[in-house]
Amino acid sequence: MDLGLIVYALNLASIYALMAIGISILWSSVGVINMAHGATFAVSGYAAWLVTGALKPVIAASLGKTALASAAMAGALVGSALITGALCGVVIYLLAFLPIHDKPNYPVRALIITLGLNIAAVQGLLWTFGPRSQGLPKIFGFGRWEVWGTKIRYDQAGTIIGAILIMTLTLGWLRYSRRGLEVRAMMQNAEGAAYSGISRQATALPVLMLTGALAGMAAALLSQTIFVSPTAGVIPLIKGLTIALLGGLGSVPGALIGAVLVGFLEAGVGAVPFLGQRYVQFATFLFIITVLIIRPRGIGGLLDDTRE
Amino acid sequence: MPELLEISQLSAGYGPLRVLHEIDLIIGEGERIGLVGLNGHGKTTLIRALTHMAGWQQGSIKLDGAEIGGTRSQGAGRRTPGLVKRGIGVAPQGDAIFPGLSVRRHLECGAHTKAAWRERRQRIDRIFDIFPPLRPLEHALVGKLSGGERRMVSIGRMLMAEARLYLIDEPSLGLAPKISHRVMEALWDLPVTGAMIIAEQNVTLLTGRADRMIGMHAGRLRGDVGHVDLA
Repeated sequence: MDLGLIVYALNLASIYALMAIGISILWSSVGVINMAHGATFAVSGYAAWLVTGALKPVIAASLGKTALASAAMAGALVGSALITGALCGVVIYLLAFLPIHDKPNYPVRALIITLGLNIAAVQGLLWTFGPRSQGLPKIFGFGRWEVWGTKIRYDQAGTIIGAILIMTLTLGWLRYSRRGLEVRAMMQNAEGAAYSGISRQATALPVLMLTGALAGMAAALLSQTIFVSPTAGVIPLIKGLTIALLGGLGSVPGALIGAVLVGFLEAGVGAVPFLGQRYVQFATFLFIITVLIIRPRGIGGLLDDTRE
Repeated sequence: MPELLEISQLSAGYGPLRVLHEIDLIIGEGERIGLVGLNGHGKTTLIRALTHMAGWQQGSIKLDGAEIGGTRSQGAGRRTPGLVKRGIGVAPQGDAIFPGLSVRRHLECGAHTKAAWRERRQRIDRIFDIFPPLRPLEHALVGKLSGGERRMVSIGRMLMAEARLYLIDEPSLGLAPKISHRVMEALWDLPVTGAMIIAEQNVTLLTGRADRMIGMHAGRLRGDVGHVDLA
């Protein structure tokens, strides 16, 4: 396996990890399988496209073609995607959490509502912008580095570094802040959290905004490799969900490891001459199903040596 | 004696099952109540109903004169964090621990008031004084601790913030006699500002120490006796 393949695998893994961690945290702390995560992804991508499109002339006029201009462009793209993702989280909170969270069978109701939101958002994007894909400005620039004889594209390196950066921030927040402590308590035992004065209503909003922002970040980073389209969120949603399952729903380290495993598996299968790209999805799902048959609690179950 | 808790006509249950049948109970300031009764006769449900954790409930509960009861057919646990913040400390049955948090982080979770959070270090130190076996385990994951240590962590979490009413459900459940005695001794030694209800099957652990003993049978209170010594 050469270096280019490893970079490609990590590139896939970082997008998958951003989606899977969000879905995993949401499930265990809010109790929602968020089917609208794909819509958040697509909407954030379109918002970044609109904002960068609107700001392009302004930035070009004021800053010209300097390094500062491309930095401003990158900030506008990532910032707008993050903020839109967080706002999508607020919408999901208002529609799929607040009205129904203490009703019986809440997880199923929330699944149906978020699925509805997903379909509505995708159709709304199709209605407004049409089915054509839109290219976003390349914030990492065009070009490649030569490292030990292999070429690494800027967008791949930028995606990996950006994803690692934002995941470190997220995990640090979960680990060291007081709100993060409350979220972790809620993830591990909802009843114990209630007896510690931690309410689901109060933790759900920041968690939904955070996971929405993660999906927005995934959209901003993936937009550097492929185009943004109304249905762009479908594959990241499916991959994110299945990887969250592979990691053992609710386990953040499990989701991370799962994303890296699937990233390498996909890159590896794609590179095998007699298999090739068309067997990538097949191999991925075969792998996930096999793991879940052998270890129903996923990778998180292997890592977890504590007991309830 | 001022009335701290006033329960009247409290019924509660789960789905079609009615566990508590129109309970009336008044608890005064500074009282330590021993709630005794067999398995499945409603001790835990009474404690859960006081924090709106039962499946459904109806009837009045007054804490310091403020109504916190009411009729509710669903939404178990929705009001619980608010009631905890109003001054009901709970050490639930089965401990409800956070397996992936260290003992210290776990105790910090219990410091939900502003004052408690500000002086959490001193308070954690105080908990370690009450339960010395926890001190060397400060950074251990709670999910790896033994049953007795978990019980101490769960009670410690309850003690991190001041409460008006402490509810402790089966502190001796599943523990070796020696450890359960130690846990009970620690509970009796606590300086109680409000009131405390300890639900317990093992009557001998309560005799001589509880101010009042209340029996529960088939979802009703039976027998309300003052200071007793069965020994």
